[in-house]
Amino acid sequence: MIEASLQLNKSNFKLSAEFKLPGRGVSAVFGPSGCGKTTLLRAIAGLEPGTRGSLSVNAEQWLSEKEPRAVEERRVGVVFQNPSLFPHLSVEENLHYGRKRLKKASKDIDIKELIHSLGIEYLLSRYPDGLSGGEKQRIALGRALLAEPTLLLMDEPLSALDQTSKEKLMLFLEKFLQNIDIPIFYVTHSSEEVARLANNLLLMNNGRVIDHGSIHGVLGRVDGELSRSDSAFSVIEGHISSTQLPGLISINCSPNTVLQLPDSGTRYQSGSEVRLRIRARDVSLCLEQPKRSSILNILPAVITELAAEPHNGSRMIKLDMEGRQLLSKISDYSAQQLKLQVGQPVFAQIKSASLI
Amino acid sequence: MLVESDLMALSTTLRLAAITTTILLLFGTPLAWWLARTGSRMRSVIEALIALPLVLPPTVLGFYLLLAFSPSGPIGATTTALGLPSIAFSFWGLVIGSAIYSLPFVVQPLQNSFASLERQQLEVAATLGAGSFDRFFSVVLPLSKMGYLTAAVLGFAHTLGEFGVVLMIGGNIPGETQVLSIAIYDHVEALEYTQAHRLAAGLLIASFLILLIIYGANRRFHLMKIR
Repeated sequence: MIEASLQLNKSNFKLSAEFKLPGRGVSAVFGPSGCGKTTLLRAIAGLEPGTRGSLSVNAEQWLSEKEPRAVEERRVGVVFQNPSLFPHLSVEENLHYGRKRLKKASKDIDIKELIHSLGIEYLLSRYPDGLSGGEKQRIALGRALLAEPTLLLMDEPLSALDQTSKEKLMLFLEKFLQNIDIPIFYVTHSSEEVARLANNLLLMNNGRVIDHGSIHGVLGRVDGELSRSDSAFSVIEGHISSTQLPGLISINCSPNTVLQLPDSGTRYQSGSEVRLRIRARDVSLCLEQPKRSSILNILPAVITELAAEPHNGSRMIKLDMEGRQLLSKISDYSAQQLKLQVGQPVFAQIKSASLI
Repeated sequence: MLVESDLMALSTTLRLAAITTTILLLFGTPLAWWLARTGSRMRSVIEALIALPLVLPPTVLGFYLLLAFSPSGPIGATTTALGLPSIAFSFWGLVIGSAIYSLPFVVQPLQNSFASLERQQLEVAATLGAGSFDRFFSVVLPLSKMGYLTAAVLGFAHTLGEFGVVLMIGGNIPGETQVLSIAIYDHVEALEYTQAHRLAAGLLIASFLILLIIYGANRRFHLMKIR
Protein backbone atom coordinates (compact mmCIF):
# COMPACT_ATOMS: atom_id res chain seq x y z
CA MET A 1 0.00 0.00 0.00
CA ILE A 2 1.21 3.48 -0.85
CA GLU A 3 -0.24 6.28 1.23
CA ALA A 4 0.63 9.85 0.49
CA SER A 5 -0.31 13.30 1.61
CA LEU A 6 2.21 15.63 0.00
CA GLN A 7 2.39 19.41 -0.11
CA LEU A 8 4.95 21.46 -1.97
CA ASN A 9 5.05 25.18 -2.64
CA LYS A 10 7.25 26.35 -5.45
CA SER A 11 7.49 29.93 -6.65
CA ASN A 12 5.04 29.43 -9.50
CA PHE A 13 3.40 26.15 -8.64
CA LYS A 14 1.61 24.47 -5.78
CA LEU A 15 1.36 20.71 -5.38
CA SER A 16 -1.15 19.16 -3.04
CA ALA A 17 -1.58 15.43 -3.46
CA GLU A 18 -3.43 12.93 -1.32
CA PHE A 19 -3.95 9.35 -2.35
CA LYS A 20 -3.83 5.73 -1.34
CA LEU A 21 -2.98 3.11 -3.96
CA PRO A 22 -2.28 -0.62 -3.81
CA GLY A 23 1.35 -1.67 -3.36
CA ARG A 24 1.45 -3.60 -6.59
CA GLY A 25 0.71 -3.07 -10.27
CA VAL A 26 1.05 -0.10 -12.57
CA SER A 27 -0.54 3.14 -11.41
CA ALA A 28 -0.78 5.65 -14.24
CA VAL A 29 -0.42 9.29 -13.23
CA PHE A 30 -2.54 10.99 -15.85
CA GLY A 31 -3.40 14.60 -16.61
CA PRO A 32 -2.77 17.51 -18.97
CA SER A 33 0.78 18.84 -19.33
CA GLY A 34 1.81 21.24 -16.60
CA CYS A 35 -0.59 19.73 -14.06
CA GLY A 36 2.24 18.60 -11.76
CA LYS A 37 2.65 14.94 -12.67
CA THR A 38 6.43 15.15 -12.86
CA THR A 39 6.63 17.25 -9.71
CA LEU A 40 4.57 14.63 -7.86
CA LEU A 41 6.95 11.92 -9.03
CA ARG A 42 9.98 13.97 -7.98
CA ALA A 43 8.41 14.65 -4.59
CA ILE A 44 7.84 10.92 -4.08
CA ALA A 45 11.45 10.17 -5.03
CA GLY A 46 12.68 12.82 -2.57
CA LEU A 47 14.14 15.04 -5.28
CA GLU A 48 12.05 18.07 -4.30
CA PRO A 49 13.40 19.55 -1.10
CA GLY A 50 10.67 21.41 0.73
CA THR A 51 8.09 18.67 0.30
CA ARG A 52 5.96 18.36 3.43
CA GLY A 53 3.39 15.87 4.63
CA SER A 54 3.64 12.12 4.88
CA LEU A 55 4.50 9.28 2.57
CA SER A 56 4.68 5.59 3.27
CA VAL A 57 5.55 2.92 0.74
CA ASN A 58 4.63 -0.62 1.73
CA ALA A 59 4.83 0.24 5.44
CA GLU A 60 8.14 2.10 5.15
CA GLN A 61 7.91 5.72 6.21
CA TRP A 62 9.68 7.94 3.66
CA LEU A 63 8.31 11.24 4.82
CA SER A 64 6.76 12.30 8.12
CA GLU A 65 7.07 15.04 10.72
CA LYS A 66 10.64 13.98 11.26
CA GLU A 67 13.61 14.47 8.96
CA PRO A 68 12.67 13.09 5.51
CA ARG A 69 14.47 9.98 4.39
CA ALA A 70 17.31 10.89 1.98
CA VAL A 71 16.89 9.99 -1.69
CA GLU A 72 19.77 7.52 -1.56
CA GLU A 73 18.14 5.73 1.40
CA ARG A 74 14.70 5.36 -0.20
CA ARG A 75 15.45 2.59 -2.66
CA VAL A 76 13.36 4.22 -5.31
CA GLY A 77 13.98 3.45 -8.97
CA VAL A 78 13.47 6.33 -11.38
CA VAL A 79 13.32 6.26 -15.17
CA PHE A 80 13.16 9.81 -16.50
CA GLN A 81 11.95 11.03 -19.86
CA ASN A 82 15.60 11.43 -20.80
CA PRO A 83 17.45 8.22 -19.86
CA SER A 84 20.44 10.03 -18.26
CA LEU A 85 22.88 7.17 -18.56
CA PHE A 86 26.36 7.86 -17.20
CA PRO A 87 28.39 8.62 -20.34
CA HIS A 88 31.72 7.65 -18.76
CA LEU A 89 30.57 4.15 -17.87
CA SER A 90 29.94 1.20 -20.18
CA VAL A 91 26.43 -0.18 -20.47
CA GLU A 92 27.34 -2.99 -18.09
CA GLU A 93 28.84 -0.57 -15.54
CA ASN A 94 25.74 1.60 -15.85
CA LEU A 95 23.55 -1.42 -15.13
CA HIS A 96 25.53 -2.29 -12.01
CA TYR A 97 25.91 1.26 -10.65
CA GLY A 98 23.01 0.93 -8.21
CA ARG A 99 23.40 -2.78 -7.56
CA LYS A 100 27.02 -2.30 -6.42
CA ARG A 101 25.77 0.12 -3.79
CA LEU A 102 23.17 -2.22 -2.27
CA LYS A 103 23.98 -3.11 1.30
CA LYS A 104 22.76 -6.62 0.66
CA ALA A 105 21.94 -7.68 -2.89
CA SER A 106 19.44 -10.50 -2.99
CA LYS A 107 20.52 -13.62 -4.80
CA ASP A 108 17.17 -14.46 -6.33
CA ILE A 109 17.22 -11.70 -8.93
CA ASP A 110 18.48 -13.29 -12.12
CA ILE A 111 20.67 -10.61 -13.71
CA LYS A 112 21.22 -12.53 -16.94
CA GLU A 113 17.52 -13.18 -17.29
CA LEU A 114 16.65 -9.51 -16.72
CA ILE A 115 19.27 -8.31 -19.22
CA HIS A 116 17.99 -10.87 -21.68
CA SER A 117 14.36 -9.86 -21.28
CA LEU A 118 15.35 -6.22 -21.77
CA GLY A 119 17.09 -7.31 -24.97
CA ILE A 120 20.30 -5.45 -24.21
CA GLU A 121 22.86 -8.24 -23.83
CA TYR A 122 24.54 -7.32 -27.12
CA LEU A 123 25.20 -3.79 -25.81
CA LEU A 124 26.95 -4.60 -22.52
CA SER A 125 30.46 -3.54 -23.58
CA ARG A 126 29.32 -0.46 -25.51
CA TYR A 127 29.17 3.11 -24.18
CA PRO A 128 25.90 5.10 -24.03
CA ASP A 129 27.06 7.51 -26.73
CA GLY A 130 25.61 6.44 -30.05
CA LEU A 131 22.92 4.09 -28.72
CA SER A 132 19.34 4.62 -29.87
CA GLY A 133 16.76 6.25 -27.60
CA GLY A 134 14.91 2.96 -27.14
CA GLU A 135 18.09 1.12 -26.19
CA LYS A 136 19.08 3.81 -23.71
CA GLN A 137 15.64 3.74 -22.11
CA ARG A 138 15.73 -0.04 -21.67
CA ILE A 139 19.19 0.24 -20.09
CA ALA A 140 17.91 2.95 -17.75
CA LEU A 141 15.05 0.65 -16.76
CA GLY A 142 17.46 -2.24 -16.17
CA ARG A 143 19.77 -0.02 -14.13
CA ALA A 144 16.87 1.03 -11.90
CA LEU A 145 15.56 -2.53 -11.45
CA LEU A 146 18.95 -4.11 -10.68
CA ALA A 147 19.19 -1.80 -7.67
CA GLU A 148 16.17 -3.70 -6.31
CA PRO A 149 13.92 -0.72 -5.68
CA THR A 150 10.79 -0.99 -3.56
CA LEU A 151 8.99 1.46 -5.85
CA LEU A 152 9.59 2.24 -9.52
CA LEU A 153 8.80 5.68 -10.92
CA MET A 154 8.64 6.25 -14.68
CA ASP A 155 8.27 9.75 -16.07
CA GLU A 156 6.92 9.65 -19.63
CA PRO A 157 9.58 7.16 -20.65
CA LEU A 158 8.29 6.98 -24.23
CA SER A 159 7.83 10.64 -24.99
CA ALA A 160 11.36 11.33 -26.24
CA LEU A 161 11.26 8.46 -28.75
CA ASP A 162 10.26 8.42 -32.40
CA GLN A 163 7.05 6.65 -33.38
CA THR A 164 8.63 3.30 -34.34
CA SER A 165 10.77 2.95 -31.21
CA LYS A 166 7.85 4.15 -29.12
CA GLU A 167 5.63 1.37 -30.45
CA LYS A 168 8.37 -1.24 -29.93
CA LEU A 169 9.13 -0.17 -26.36
CA MET A 170 5.41 0.03 -25.60
CA LEU A 171 4.84 -3.59 -26.69
CA PHE A 172 7.76 -4.56 -24.48
CA LEU A 173 6.57 -2.57 -21.45
CA GLU A 174 3.06 -4.02 -21.68
CA LYS A 175 4.37 -7.51 -20.93
CA PHE A 176 7.35 -6.54 -18.83
CA LEU A 177 5.73 -4.19 -16.31
CA GLN A 178 2.95 -6.64 -15.42
CA ASN A 179 5.56 -9.16 -14.29
CA ILE A 180 7.39 -6.84 -11.93
CA ASP A 181 6.62 -7.44 -8.30
CA ILE A 182 6.87 -3.86 -7.06
CA PRO A 183 4.46 -0.94 -7.40
CA ILE A 184 5.07 1.25 -10.43
CA PHE A 185 4.04 4.87 -10.96
CA TYR A 186 3.89 5.72 -14.62
CA VAL A 187 3.48 9.36 -15.62
CA THR A 188 1.85 9.98 -18.97
CA HIS A 189 -0.45 12.33 -20.80
CA SER A 190 -1.41 9.73 -23.39
CA SER A 191 -4.73 7.94 -22.85
CA GLU A 192 -3.44 5.14 -25.03
CA GLU A 193 -0.57 4.45 -22.64
CA VAL A 194 -3.02 4.52 -19.71
CA ALA A 195 -5.32 2.05 -21.42
CA ARG A 196 -2.51 -0.29 -22.35
CA LEU A 197 -0.42 -0.30 -19.20
CA ALA A 198 -2.34 0.77 -16.14
CA ASN A 199 -4.07 -1.22 -13.42
CA ASN A 200 -4.71 1.88 -11.33
CA LEU A 201 -5.21 5.46 -12.24
CA LEU A 202 -4.34 8.69 -10.49
CA LEU A 203 -5.85 11.75 -12.15
CA MET A 204 -4.23 15.12 -11.71
CA ASN A 205 -5.16 18.68 -12.53
CA ASN A 206 -3.66 22.00 -11.38
CA GLY A 207 -1.28 20.38 -8.94
CA ARG A 208 -3.98 18.34 -7.23
CA VAL A 209 -4.92 14.68 -7.31
CA ILE A 210 -8.57 14.82 -8.37
CA ASP A 211 -9.33 11.11 -8.45
CA HIS A 212 -7.57 7.83 -7.90
CA GLY A 213 -8.33 4.13 -7.71
CA SER A 214 -8.60 1.11 -9.98
CA ILE A 215 -8.62 1.98 -13.65
CA HIS A 216 -12.21 0.82 -14.19
CA GLY A 217 -13.37 2.61 -11.07
CA VAL A 218 -11.84 5.96 -12.07
CA LEU A 219 -12.69 5.72 -15.76
CA GLY A 220 -16.28 4.75 -14.95
CA ARG A 221 -17.19 7.77 -12.83
CA VAL A 222 -19.85 9.51 -14.91
CA ASP A 223 -19.58 12.73 -12.91
CA GLY A 224 -15.81 12.59 -12.57
CA GLU A 225 -13.36 15.11 -13.90
CA LEU A 226 -12.30 12.80 -16.71
CA SER A 227 -15.89 12.35 -17.91
CA ARG A 228 -16.18 16.08 -18.39
CA SER A 229 -13.16 16.20 -20.62
CA ASP A 230 -13.30 15.17 -24.22
CA SER A 231 -10.89 12.31 -23.66
CA ALA A 232 -13.20 10.09 -21.54
CA PHE A 233 -12.84 6.48 -22.56
CA SER A 234 -13.53 2.91 -21.46
CA VAL A 235 -11.16 -0.02 -21.44
CA ILE A 236 -12.56 -3.43 -22.26
CA GLU A 237 -10.57 -6.64 -21.98
CA GLY A 238 -11.18 -9.57 -24.28
CA HIS A 239 -9.45 -12.20 -26.35
CA ILE A 240 -9.07 -12.77 -30.07
CA SER A 241 -11.80 -15.09 -31.30
CA SER A 242 -11.03 -18.24 -33.24
CA THR A 243 -13.75 -17.56 -35.80
CA GLN A 244 -13.10 -14.57 -37.98
CA LEU A 245 -15.09 -12.83 -40.69
CA PRO A 246 -13.30 -11.77 -43.86
CA GLY A 247 -11.46 -8.47 -43.38
CA LEU A 248 -12.33 -8.28 -39.68
CA ILE A 249 -10.86 -9.21 -36.34
CA SER A 250 -13.33 -10.56 -33.79
CA ILE A 251 -12.78 -10.07 -30.12
CA ASN A 252 -14.72 -11.99 -27.49
CA CYS A 253 -15.34 -9.79 -24.47
CA SER A 254 -17.93 -12.05 -22.85
CA PRO A 255 -19.98 -14.97 -24.25
CA ASN A 256 -22.43 -12.82 -26.22
CA THR A 257 -20.40 -9.65 -26.53
CA VAL A 258 -18.24 -9.95 -29.63
CA LEU A 259 -16.67 -6.84 -31.09
CA GLN A 260 -15.55 -6.63 -34.70
CA LEU A 261 -12.70 -4.43 -35.84
CA PRO A 262 -11.39 -3.83 -39.35
CA ASP A 263 -8.30 -6.00 -39.87
CA SER A 264 -5.40 -3.58 -40.10
CA GLY A 265 -2.99 -6.36 -41.01
CA THR A 266 -1.44 -6.99 -37.60
CA ARG A 267 -1.30 -10.72 -36.93
CA TYR A 268 -2.91 -11.82 -33.68
CA GLN A 269 -2.80 -15.31 -32.25
CA SER A 270 -6.29 -16.63 -31.68
CA GLY A 271 -7.08 -16.68 -27.96
CA SER A 272 -4.51 -14.02 -27.01
CA GLU A 273 -5.58 -11.41 -24.47
CA VAL A 274 -6.13 -7.88 -25.74
CA ARG A 275 -7.47 -4.59 -24.46
CA LEU A 276 -9.77 -2.24 -26.34
CA ARG A 277 -9.98 1.48 -25.81
CA ILE A 278 -13.34 2.96 -26.70
CA ARG A 279 -13.88 6.71 -26.53
CA ALA A 280 -17.12 7.70 -24.86
CA ARG A 281 -17.97 10.07 -27.69
CA ASP A 282 -17.73 7.19 -30.19
CA VAL A 283 -20.60 5.34 -28.50
CA SER A 284 -24.16 6.32 -29.36
CA LEU A 285 -27.41 4.77 -28.11
CA CYS A 286 -30.59 3.42 -29.82
CA LEU A 287 -33.73 2.11 -28.21
CA GLU A 288 -34.33 -0.35 -31.05
CA GLN A 289 -31.79 -2.40 -32.91
CA PRO A 290 -30.92 -0.53 -36.11
CA LYS A 291 -30.97 -2.62 -39.27
CA ARG A 292 -28.64 -2.31 -42.28
CA SER A 293 -26.13 0.03 -40.63
CA SER A 294 -22.49 0.51 -41.58
CA ILE A 295 -21.60 0.45 -37.92
CA LEU A 296 -20.04 -2.91 -37.14
CA ASN A 297 -20.70 -3.10 -33.47
CA ILE A 298 -24.25 -2.70 -32.23
CA LEU A 299 -24.58 -4.49 -28.94
CA PRO A 300 -27.31 -4.83 -26.34
CA ALA A 301 -26.55 -3.11 -23.06
CA VAL A 302 -28.26 -1.87 -19.91
CA ILE A 303 -27.97 1.67 -18.53
CA THR A 304 -26.44 1.53 -15.06
CA GLU A 305 -25.82 5.21 -14.36
CA LEU A 306 -26.54 8.62 -15.80
CA ALA A 307 -24.50 11.70 -15.00
CA ALA A 308 -26.46 13.86 -12.59
CA GLU A 309 -25.69 17.03 -14.51
CA PRO A 310 -25.12 17.62 -18.20
CA HIS A 311 -21.77 19.16 -19.05
CA ASN A 312 -21.44 21.46 -22.05
CA GLY A 313 -24.71 20.08 -23.43
CA SER A 314 -23.57 16.46 -23.21
CA ARG A 315 -24.47 13.77 -20.75
CA MET A 316 -22.29 10.83 -19.76
CA ILE A 317 -24.03 7.47 -19.50
CA LYS A 318 -22.59 4.28 -18.07
CA LEU A 319 -23.68 0.98 -19.62
CA ASP A 320 -23.27 -2.62 -18.70
CA MET A 321 -22.65 -5.21 -21.40
CA GLU A 322 -22.67 -8.58 -19.69
CA GLY A 323 -20.48 -7.30 -16.87
CA ARG A 324 -18.28 -5.09 -19.10
CA GLN A 325 -18.48 -1.40 -18.40
CA LEU A 326 -18.88 1.01 -21.30
CA LEU A 327 -19.21 4.81 -21.32
CA SER A 328 -21.31 6.71 -23.80
CA LYS A 329 -21.35 10.47 -24.21
CA ILE A 330 -24.46 11.74 -25.99
CA SER A 331 -26.13 15.10 -26.21
CA ASP A 332 -28.32 15.99 -23.29
CA TYR A 333 -31.12 16.74 -25.76
CA SER A 334 -31.07 13.13 -27.05
CA ALA A 335 -30.96 11.76 -23.53
CA GLN A 336 -34.14 13.69 -22.72
CA GLN A 337 -35.87 12.82 -25.99
CA LEU A 338 -35.21 9.10 -25.51
CA LYS A 339 -36.20 9.40 -21.82
CA LEU A 340 -33.18 7.38 -20.80
CA GLN A 341 -33.11 6.04 -17.27
CA VAL A 342 -31.23 3.57 -15.12
CA GLY A 343 -32.13 -0.08 -15.79
CA GLN A 344 -33.30 0.60 -19.33
CA PRO A 345 -32.12 -1.82 -22.04
CA VAL A 346 -30.58 -0.08 -25.06
CA PHE A 347 -28.38 -0.81 -28.04
CA ALA A 348 -24.91 0.68 -27.96
CA GLN A 349 -23.52 1.62 -31.35
CA ILE A 350 -19.74 1.66 -31.17
CA LYS A 351 -18.48 3.76 -34.02
CA SER A 352 -14.85 2.93 -33.49
CA ALA A 353 -12.64 1.12 -31.04
CA SER A 354 -8.92 0.74 -30.99
CA LEU A 355 -7.21 -2.48 -30.27
CA ILE A 356 -4.30 -1.72 -28.00
CA MET B 1 74.88 25.59 -17.59
CA LEU B 2 72.64 26.84 -14.77
CA VAL B 3 74.41 28.24 -11.73
CA GLU B 4 73.47 26.97 -8.25
CA SER B 5 71.31 29.96 -7.44
CA ASP B 6 69.34 29.39 -10.66
CA LEU B 7 68.74 25.75 -9.74
CA MET B 8 67.53 26.85 -6.31
CA ALA B 9 65.19 29.36 -7.91
CA LEU B 10 63.89 26.63 -10.24
CA SER B 11 63.20 24.28 -7.34
CA THR B 12 61.51 27.04 -5.29
CA THR B 13 59.34 27.92 -8.29
CA LEU B 14 58.27 24.33 -8.97
CA ARG B 15 57.56 23.71 -5.28
CA LEU B 16 55.54 26.92 -5.07
CA ALA B 17 53.53 26.10 -8.20
CA ALA B 18 52.85 22.51 -7.12
CA ILE B 19 51.73 23.44 -3.59
CA THR B 20 49.64 26.38 -4.81
CA THR B 21 47.91 24.26 -7.45
CA THR B 22 47.11 21.51 -4.95
CA ILE B 23 45.66 23.98 -2.44
CA LEU B 24 43.65 25.72 -5.15
CA LEU B 25 42.17 22.46 -6.46
CA LEU B 26 41.13 21.47 -2.95
CA PHE B 27 39.54 24.78 -2.01
CA GLY B 28 38.47 25.69 -5.53
CA THR B 29 36.28 22.58 -5.87
CA PRO B 30 33.63 23.46 -3.24
CA LEU B 31 33.80 27.13 -4.23
CA ALA B 32 33.31 26.37 -7.95
CA TRP B 33 30.55 23.88 -7.10
CA TRP B 34 28.70 26.49 -5.09
CA LEU B 35 29.10 29.09 -7.86
CA ALA B 36 27.88 26.63 -10.50
CA ARG B 37 24.76 25.60 -8.55
CA THR B 38 23.66 28.49 -6.39
CA GLY B 39 20.84 30.86 -7.15
CA SER B 40 22.09 33.25 -4.44
CA ARG B 41 22.50 36.95 -5.17
CA MET B 42 25.92 36.79 -3.54
CA ARG B 43 27.10 34.81 -6.51
CA SER B 44 27.94 37.80 -8.70
CA VAL B 45 29.79 39.48 -5.84
CA ILE B 46 31.92 36.41 -5.21
CA GLU B 47 32.51 35.89 -8.93
CA ALA B 48 33.70 39.48 -9.30
CA LEU B 49 36.01 39.13 -6.29
CA ILE B 50 37.54 35.95 -7.67
CA ALA B 51 38.07 37.54 -11.08
CA LEU B 52 39.82 40.63 -9.61
CA PRO B 53 43.37 39.23 -10.00
CA LEU B 54 42.70 38.99 -13.75
CA VAL B 55 42.48 42.76 -14.08
CA LEU B 56 44.44 44.22 -11.13
CA PRO B 57 48.15 44.92 -11.44
CA PRO B 58 49.83 42.24 -9.29
CA THR B 59 51.56 45.02 -7.35
CA VAL B 60 48.19 46.19 -6.00
CA LEU B 61 47.42 42.74 -4.67
CA GLY B 62 50.98 42.39 -3.35
CA PHE B 63 50.80 45.77 -1.63
CA TYR B 64 47.65 44.90 0.33
CA LEU B 65 48.96 41.46 1.21
CA LEU B 66 52.15 43.06 2.50
CA LEU B 67 50.08 45.35 4.72
CA ALA B 68 48.07 42.37 6.00
CA PHE B 69 51.21 40.36 6.71
CA SER B 70 53.00 43.20 8.52
CA PRO B 71 53.10 42.91 12.35
CA SER B 72 50.34 45.53 12.65
CA GLY B 73 48.19 43.96 9.88
CA PRO B 74 45.39 41.45 10.66
CA ILE B 75 47.29 38.34 9.53
CA GLY B 76 50.65 39.49 10.91
CA ALA B 77 49.11 40.39 14.28
CA THR B 78 47.49 36.94 14.51
CA THR B 79 50.69 35.06 13.72
CA THR B 80 52.63 37.19 16.19
CA ALA B 81 50.00 36.60 18.90
CA LEU B 82 50.20 32.85 18.27
CA GLY B 83 53.96 33.00 18.50
CA LEU B 84 54.39 31.91 14.86
CA PRO B 85 57.11 33.25 12.59
CA SER B 86 56.17 36.15 10.32
CA ILE B 87 54.61 35.24 6.96
CA ALA B 88 55.97 38.25 5.11
CA PHE B 89 59.13 37.40 3.17
CA SER B 90 58.59 33.66 3.76
CA PHE B 91 57.78 30.79 1.39
CA TRP B 92 54.30 30.33 2.92
CA GLY B 93 53.59 33.99 2.38
CA LEU B 94 54.29 33.37 -1.29
CA VAL B 95 51.94 30.39 -1.28
CA ILE B 96 49.11 32.55 0.08
CA GLY B 97 49.84 35.32 -2.43
CA SER B 98 50.03 32.94 -5.40
CA ALA B 99 46.87 31.14 -4.34
CA ILE B 100 44.92 34.39 -4.39
CA TYR B 101 46.60 35.52 -7.60
CA SER B 102 45.90 32.26 -9.47
CA LEU B 103 42.44 31.62 -7.99
CA PRO B 104 40.41 32.61 -11.10
CA PHE B 105 42.52 30.35 -13.31
CA VAL B 106 41.46 27.35 -11.25
CA VAL B 107 37.91 28.27 -10.21
CA GLN B 108 36.62 29.34 -13.63
CA PRO B 109 37.40 26.13 -15.56
CA LEU B 110 35.99 24.06 -12.67
CA GLN B 111 32.86 26.20 -12.49
CA ASN B 112 32.26 25.88 -16.26
CA SER B 113 32.76 22.18 -16.11
CA PHE B 114 30.38 21.73 -13.13
CA ALA B 115 27.76 23.95 -14.73
CA SER B 116 27.71 21.79 -17.86
CA LEU B 117 26.97 18.61 -15.89
CA GLU B 118 23.45 17.28 -16.30
CA ARG B 119 21.70 17.70 -12.97
CA GLN B 120 19.53 14.71 -13.73
CA GLN B 121 22.52 12.37 -13.84
CA LEU B 122 23.30 13.28 -10.25
CA GLU B 123 19.67 12.76 -9.29
CA VAL B 124 19.69 9.33 -10.89
CA ALA B 125 22.89 8.49 -9.02
CA ALA B 126 21.18 9.48 -5.76
CA THR B 127 18.15 7.29 -6.47
CA LEU B 128 20.58 4.44 -7.15
CA GLY B 129 21.91 4.74 -3.61
CA ALA B 130 24.93 7.03 -4.02
CA GLY B 131 25.43 9.56 -1.20
CA SER B 132 26.87 13.01 -1.89
CA PHE B 133 30.59 12.10 -1.65
CA ASP B 134 29.98 8.95 -3.63
CA ARG B 135 28.20 10.98 -6.33
CA PHE B 136 31.11 13.40 -6.46
CA PHE B 137 33.74 10.71 -6.95
CA SER B 138 31.71 8.38 -9.18
CA VAL B 139 29.97 10.90 -11.44
CA VAL B 140 31.15 14.51 -11.03
CA LEU B 141 34.90 13.86 -11.00
CA PRO B 142 35.07 11.52 -14.01
CA LEU B 143 32.80 13.81 -16.04
CA SER B 144 34.85 16.90 -15.07
CA LYS B 145 38.24 15.43 -15.95
CA MET B 146 38.87 18.03 -18.63
CA GLY B 147 37.89 20.86 -16.28
CA TYR B 148 40.33 19.59 -13.63
CA LEU B 149 43.13 19.18 -16.15
CA THR B 150 42.61 22.70 -17.46
CA ALA B 151 42.35 24.15 -13.94
CA ALA B 152 45.49 22.36 -12.74
CA VAL B 153 47.57 23.31 -15.78
CA LEU B 154 46.47 26.93 -15.87
CA GLY B 155 46.93 27.32 -12.11
CA PHE B 156 50.39 25.77 -12.30
CA ALA B 157 51.50 27.72 -15.35
CA HIS B 158 50.17 31.00 -14.04
CA THR B 159 52.01 30.55 -10.74
CA LEU B 160 55.23 29.81 -12.67
CA GLY B 161 54.97 33.18 -14.38
CA GLU B 162 54.21 35.24 -11.29
CA PHE B 163 56.38 38.30 -10.64
CA GLY B 164 54.72 41.35 -9.14
CA VAL B 165 53.09 39.74 -6.11
CA VAL B 166 56.27 37.83 -5.27
CA LEU B 167 58.36 40.94 -5.54
CA MET B 168 56.08 42.78 -3.11
CA ILE B 169 55.63 40.13 -0.42
CA GLY B 170 58.45 37.65 -0.93
CA GLY B 171 61.46 39.74 -1.53
CA ASN B 172 64.36 37.96 -3.09
CA ILE B 173 65.76 35.44 -0.61
CA PRO B 174 67.65 32.68 -2.47
CA GLY B 175 66.39 29.18 -1.59
CA GLU B 176 63.39 30.65 0.24
CA THR B 177 61.52 33.18 -1.85
CA GLN B 178 63.63 33.69 -4.95
CA VAL B 179 61.63 32.34 -7.90
CA LEU B 180 62.58 32.08 -11.60
CA SER B 181 60.94 35.28 -12.77
CA ILE B 182 62.87 37.24 -10.14
CA ALA B 183 66.10 35.40 -10.92
CA ILE B 184 65.70 36.45 -14.56
CA TYR B 185 65.16 40.04 -13.47
CA ASP B 186 68.32 39.91 -11.36
CA HIS B 187 70.38 38.52 -14.25
CA VAL B 188 69.16 41.27 -16.54
CA GLU B 189 69.90 43.92 -13.91
CA ALA B 190 73.43 42.50 -13.63
CA LEU B 191 73.70 42.44 -17.46
CA GLU B 192 74.13 38.63 -17.38
CA TYR B 193 72.18 38.14 -20.60
CA THR B 194 73.35 34.56 -21.22
CA GLN B 195 71.98 33.32 -17.89
CA ALA B 196 68.83 35.39 -18.34
CA HIS B 197 68.37 33.79 -21.77
CA ARG B 198 68.70 30.26 -20.43
CA LEU B 199 66.02 30.81 -17.81
CA ALA B 200 63.74 32.91 -19.98
CA ALA B 201 63.87 30.56 -22.95
CA GLY B 202 63.39 27.59 -20.62
CA LEU B 203 60.31 29.18 -19.11
CA LEU B 204 58.97 30.10 -22.54
CA ILE B 205 59.35 26.58 -23.91
CA ALA B 206 57.98 24.93 -20.75
CA SER B 207 54.91 27.20 -20.76
CA PHE B 208 54.29 26.56 -24.45
CA LEU B 209 54.53 22.79 -23.94
CA ILE B 210 52.14 22.91 -20.99
CA LEU B 211 49.55 24.86 -22.99
CA LEU B 212 50.03 22.55 -25.98
CA ILE B 213 49.20 19.61 -23.71
CA ILE B 214 45.86 21.07 -22.61
CA TYR B 215 44.80 22.23 -26.03
CA GLY B 216 45.82 18.85 -27.46
CA ALA B 217 43.93 16.99 -24.73
CA ASN B 218 40.92 19.24 -25.25
CA ARG B 219 40.87 18.42 -28.94
CA ARG B 220 41.14 14.69 -28.30
CA PHE B 221 38.41 14.98 -25.72
CA HIS B 222 36.07 16.68 -28.18
CA LEU B 223 36.85 14.09 -30.82
CA MET B 224 35.99 11.37 -28.32
CA LYS B 225 32.68 13.02 -27.62
CA ILE B 226 31.77 13.29 -31.28
CA ARG B 227 32.57 9.63 -31.89
